[in-house]
Amino acid sequence: MGFLRFLGFTVVRAGQGFWRNKMMSLAATATVILMLVLLSGLVIVLGGLNSGLAYIESKVGVTARLVDGLAPEAVDQLVAEVSALPGVASVEFVSPEEAMRRLEQAYADRGQTLETGGSDISLYASIEVALTDPAAATSVSSALGERPEIERITTIQEQYDKLLGVTNVVRLAGLSAMILVGLTVVFMIVNTIRIAVFSRSREIEIMRLVGASDAFIRWPFIMEGMLCGLLGAVFTVLLVALVWGPIQPLLIEIFQMPTAVGAQFFTFVAVLILSVGLVVGMLGSWISVRAHLAAGV
Amino acid sequence: MTDARSVTKARPAAASLIGDEPLIRLVDVTVTYPNGKEALINVDLEIRRGDFIFLVGPSGAGKSTLIRLLIREQVATTGRVYLAGRDLARVSRSQVHRLRRRIGVVFQDFRLLPNKTVRENVAFALEVTGAPLDEIRRRVPRLLALVGLEDQAQQLPAQLSGGEQQRAAIARALVHDPAILIADEPTGNLDPVTGWEIVQLLLEINALGTTLVVATHNQEIVTALRRRVVALEQGRMVRDEVGAAYRRG
Repeated sequence: MGFLRFLGFTVVRAGQGFWRNKMMSLAATATVILMLVLLSGLVIVLGGLNSGLAYIESKVGVTARLVDGLAPEAVDQLVAEVSALPGVASVEFVSPEEAMRRLEQAYADRGQTLETGGSDISLYASIEVALTDPAAATSVSSALGERPEIERITTIQEQYDKLLGVTNVVRLAGLSAMILVGLTVVFMIVNTIRIAVFSRSREIEIMRLVGASDAFIRWPFIMEGMLCGLLGAVFTVLLVALVWGPIQPLLIEIFQMPTAVGAQFFTFVAVLILSVGLVVGMLGSWISVRAHLAAGV
Repeated sequence: MTDARSVTKARPAAASLIGDEPLIRLVDVTVTYPNGKEALINVDLEIRRGDFIFLVGPSGAGKSTLIRLLIREQVATTGRVYLAGRDLARVSRSQVHRLRRRIGVVFQDFRLLPNKTVRENVAFALEVTGAPLDEIRRRVPRLLALVGLEDQAQQLPAQLSGGEQQRAAIARALVHDPAILIADEPTGNLDPVTGWEIVQLLLEINALGTTLVVATHNQEIVTALRRRVVALEQGRMVRDEVGAAYRRG
């Protein structure tokens, strides 16, 4: 009961404080929104890039074209030896007939028919090596390259590395921007609460004289900072929900791969935004209260 | 005329007329500010329960420092200050607020919140200490009745006279039923008639059992009431007399 009274008092006083000091409070809230929009943009792009990376990872493997006329026994031996290499999950032999069948299927999937113009074309035989770890692609490729049965090797490692590079750059640039904006937000909240403390110095003095505890004096200010953070977060979540749909095809178009993120990811982003908003609001006001609201002697 | 300095030492038990254990005891208290100025020097003082004391002396004599010591806004540089036997220097920071609920304070400038009504100003002192709503509803009208402000409960401080504002401040100071009420120049901003009304109210509160310490420059009131007078000059206690008049120097 006592705690509920304390909570009620704190929330009401925080709301009153926010309203009385509304210009500064709204300015602080606006910076929170700016930071959280940046954060959500970063998280969504990184989420999309990670989903693209996961897609490539699932496809990363090594395809090796075999020399023509390789005897079935030699193929079996090759498959067995490659399977034993570290980092290899499985090895599948694709015969020229199987390769043709897949090609025809690929055409059929697009509603087309493979036209060979009457000529009897023949595809090459190959082995498809699936990896347990994408990082093993280089070592497996070089091991295959040394074998006489192999004519040429193809991998999508290059694509993977490129996307990983982009992801790292985005992550670094995004985090740097986030830290800068985050510091600005904390500074804004520190100042907002500082003004609130000064404008209520008479009240604080009276509270001390009549025996209010430090918690009753300090928490309304901390709650006021949290209110700035929470309001900014709620506004940002609404904004993100509004643009969530249009962003998905945009991500696919920019990165040319399945970088769309699901509805479950939206929940994650929303929870993240709300938590960061509250924590930043609390941090700023806590710093301000510590600096400008000296405890009793 | 008695030598004030000799009286201080000769009559240390002047207050022992009422009660046994001192409510407040200062033992050889000295307060030195960081700039080296000594605000209080070797002060010994005992205040018994139910006492009514006038604290007199010129500006800068140490009255405000003494009050700050009593409400634990400040601690003595040397010496000890006890409230009901408890050494105030040993009260931890987290417990100071509990101590302050036992001490009511009123000031010359009333220190009411201008955007709250009289009722709200008094209720505020209970709200900020976590008092239940029913207790606030019960106590506030009683206190307003005690100070004679029932009819002004819904008015803002700016709508009240100086005397009424001081009454509201006194009601607020009494919300926790304190053992002692400290009034720092309570009549300083009031005309003589209103000042007397406030003093009458303080006497009534004292008669109900609350110990009163009134810091004042008001010679007329001190001399007329002939209560215990503690005089400070340049940080030293130069007089502690029961039934004394106001005297300079």
